[in-house]
Amino acid sequence: MLDDSLGRRAFLAASGTAIASAWLAADPDQLRASLAHARDARAAALPPPWEFLTPEQAADMDAIAAQIIPTDDLPGAREAGVVHFVDHSLATWGQDQRDPFASGLDELNRDAQRRWPGTGRFATLSPARQVELLRAAEKTPFFQMMRFVTVAGTFANPSWGGNHDHIGWRILGFEDRFVWQPPFGAYDASGGAAK
Amino acid sequence: MRRPSARFRPKDVVDFVVVGSGAAGGIVAKELATAGLSVVVLEQGPRLDPGQFEHDEFKYFFRSGIVNDPKLQPQTFAPTPNEPAKQGAGTLLYARLVGGGSVHFTANYWRFHEIDFVEASRHGRISGTGFADWPITYADLEPYYTKAEWELGVSGVPGPFDAPRSRPYPLPPLPVKSSGVLFERGCRKLGLHSQPTPLAILSQRFHGREPCHHCGFCLAFGCEFGAKSSTLATVIPMAEATGHCEIRPNSYVRGVEIDEKTGRTVGVVYFDDRKVEHLQRARAVVLCANGAETPRLLLMSQSKRFPHGLANSSGLVGKYLMFNGYCETGATFEQPLNEWKSVAASRMIHDFYDTDPARGFYGGGGIDARFIGYPVGFALGGVFGGLPPTDPTWGPEYKRLLRTSYSHSMVAAGHTTSLPLESNAVSLDRELKDAWGLPALRFTYQDHADDLATMRFLQAKALEILEAAGARRAWKAPVQPSTFAVHLLGTCRMGNDPRTSVVDRHHRTHDVPNLFLCDGSSFVTSGRGQPTCTIQALAYRAGEHIAGFARRGEI
Repeated sequence: MLDDSLGRRAFLAASGTAIASAWLAADPDQLRASLAHARDARAAALPPPWEFLTPEQAADMDAIAAQIIPTDDLPGAREAGVVHFVDHSLATWGQDQRDPFASGLDELNRDAQRRWPGTGRFATLSPARQVELLRAAEKTPFFQMMRFVTVAGTFANPSWGGNHDHIGWRILGFEDRFVWQPPFGAYDASGGAAK
Repeated sequence: MRRPSARFRPKDVVDFVVVGSGAAGGIVAKELATAGLSVVVLEQGPRLDPGQFEHDEFKYFFRSGIVNDPKLQPQTFAPTPNEPAKQGAGTLLYARLVGGGSVHFTANYWRFHEIDFVEASRHGRISGTGFADWPITYADLEPYYTKAEWELGVSGVPGPFDAPRSRPYPLPPLPVKSSGVLFERGCRKLGLHSQPTPLAILSQRFHGREPCHHCGFCLAFGCEFGAKSSTLATVIPMAEATGHCEIRPNSYVRGVEIDEKTGRTVGVVYFDDRKVEHLQRARAVVLCANGAETPRLLLMSQSKRFPHGLANSSGLVGKYLMFNGYCETGATFEQPLNEWKSVAASRMIHDFYDTDPARGFYGGGGIDARFIGYPVGFALGGVFGGLPPTDPTWGPEYKRLLRTSYSHSMVAAGHTTSLPLESNAVSLDRELKDAWGLPALRFTYQDHADDLATMRFLQAKALEILEAAGARRAWKAPVQPSTFAVHLLGTCRMGNDPRTSVVDRHHRTHDVPNLFLCDGSSFVTSGRGQPTCTIQALAYRAGEHIAGFARRGEI
C-alpha cells in the first residue's frame, strides 16, 4: 500500500484536490527519513526521565513492543514511542495496571532465567530468545496486556503519548484531515456506481 | 452560542418531566413543548457543544468518552437467570450525554417493513418465545416515519423492498464509497438488489445545518458539523426555542415518585452534579431513558403499591430484551478503498429481509457494506474485527498485514432479527451498586437458535457477495454468543392486554395513568436492525398523542 504510489496519484488526480497532501506526497521517503532520525536519536540520547517506569522496565517494555509491532523497512512500535504511552498511562489513568504490569514483567524475566540461567533482562536478550519467551507467554493475560498497550501506543491519538510523528497512522495509510471529498478510494474513483 | 432556555425549579410542578434526551426523549420533549406544555428533560449525561466533539478513538472506545463508564455504572451478566451474574462479563452500551444514542450511532436509518408489525400472526407463534404482534401497524406509524425523516434530515432513496411511503426522502443519498461500489458489483453478479443506505446524515445543507464533510469519525462519535441528525442538532434546540422546555444535564434519575393514595406519579427524584437529591415535581412523566435504563428505573421505583417495580403488574418490566443479531464478513482488495473516510455504510440489500420457512428457521435481515473500523480497533482485532481471525496477531508478518490491509479492506455486515425470550432480561443486581449507591444493572441474554442460524445464513451470503466482487481475500468473523449490545429493545413492550404488556398503544403504562414510556423498550419485535428510525417515529407519534391527552385533560 505504501508502495502503491500509482494508485494514490490516480485518485488524487481524480478527486481534483488542488493541494496535494503532504503526507501522500512525501511518503515513503519521508517515513524512511524519520526512521533514520529515530535511530540516530536513540544512539545519541540518554534515556529520558520516566514518570513511573524504572529504566529497566522501560527497556524491557520497549523491547517487547518492538517484537509485537517490529521495525522493518518502516518504523514500528519502538519509533512510535509505545514505551512513553505505557509510562504515562501507568503514571496517570492506568494506575490500576501497575501491579499486573510489574508482576507480569517479573514473571517474564524469571522465565528467561529458568530457560537460560545467568542471562540479563529481557531487553538484553537476542531477538530470537525474546520471541521465544513471548511465544511461550502468548496465552497469558500479561501478553494480552502487552499487545493491547503496544497497539494503543502505536495507533491511538498522539495526545496519549505514543504514535509519535503519526508513525502508526502512516503505517496504516490513515490520516485525520477532518474534511474529505469524494472520491474516497480507487473503486469509487474509477468505475463509480449509479445511485 | 446557545439561546437562554427556560429554567424551572424542582418544586415547580411542570406539565411533564421527560427522562432521557436521546433519540426518543429529545423528540418527545419537542412535541410536548411545541404543543404549549412545560417540560423539564432530565439527562444523566453532560451537555457537549459540537465544538467539544473529538476525533479521539482511544478516548471514545477505551476510556468511555461519551458512553456509560463501567467503573461508575458497573453491570453484571449471565446467559440465563439461573447462573450467577458476573461483573464485566457483558455490556449494554449506550451514549450518555444530551442527545444520547442519536449523537453516537452509525445513523443507519431503516424503516420497519409492514411485516415487522404483524409477523407473529402471519408466521405463527414460536413456542418458548414471546413472539407477538404489535398493537399498531406500519400504516399507523408511516406518517411519523415521514415526519422524522423530514424534520431531522435523512438522506436516501426508496429501496426495492421498502414499505409504501407518503413522501420521498428530503435529501439525496450520500456519495457512494469504494466498499459500496464493490458490494454493488458483487450483488449485481448474484442477482441481488443493492441500494443506497438511508442515513440520518445530511448530504446537503438542510435547515441551516452543514452537510457531511466525510471526516471519517462517524460511528461512535459526535458530529462537529451538526450533519449527523442527532436530537442535539435538531429537536432539542427547537424545544428550547419554545421558551418552556428546560434541558437539565448531569441529572441522574433514581426513582419515579408515586402518590400511594392515587397511584399517580408526582415527579421524579434525581441526583444533581454534586450528588444532591432533588424531587422534580410534574403532572406527568415520560421515561425515554433507553431499553436498559427505563426498565431499571421502574424496577428501582418500588413502593407499597408496586412492590415488584413501578408499572409492573404484568411482571414483564425488563423482560423480552432483544439485541438484533450482528455478523461480519471482511474482505481485502487489490487497490486502496480508504474506508476510514466518510460515513460507515453506503450500500445495502434487503433481499433476505423476510423470513423464509424453507430455510428451516425463523429470521431475516439486511446486509450492508461498511468500513473496517478505526486504527486501534482494527489492529487489536478480536471483537473489533480487523484482520482475518487466522492471521498472526503480532510480529513481522502481522505488521506487514496491517500495512497492506487497513486501507484495502471493508466489511459486509449482517443485521438480523432477535426473538423475544422471557429469560433475556434487564434486572437489578442484588449486591453490586453503582457510584451513586444504586443497584447495578444486571442482564441475562442467550441468542435463540434461530437468531444464530439467521446470522450464519446472512454471513454466508455476505461472503458470496464479497467474493463475487473480486476480493483478494475474504473471511468470516466467528459468530459468537451475544454478550454486548447497543440495540436495547423490548423490555417494556407495547400491547393491548395489561397482562402481557407494560404500555398501551399510546405508550401509556397500563398501571399508572400519568406515566408514559417511549424508547427501544417499547418494541414488541426487534425488526432487522437500525432501530433508531423506528424509535424516533414512535417518539413523534407518542409525543403527539401525549400532548393531545394533556390538552384534553385525559391524563
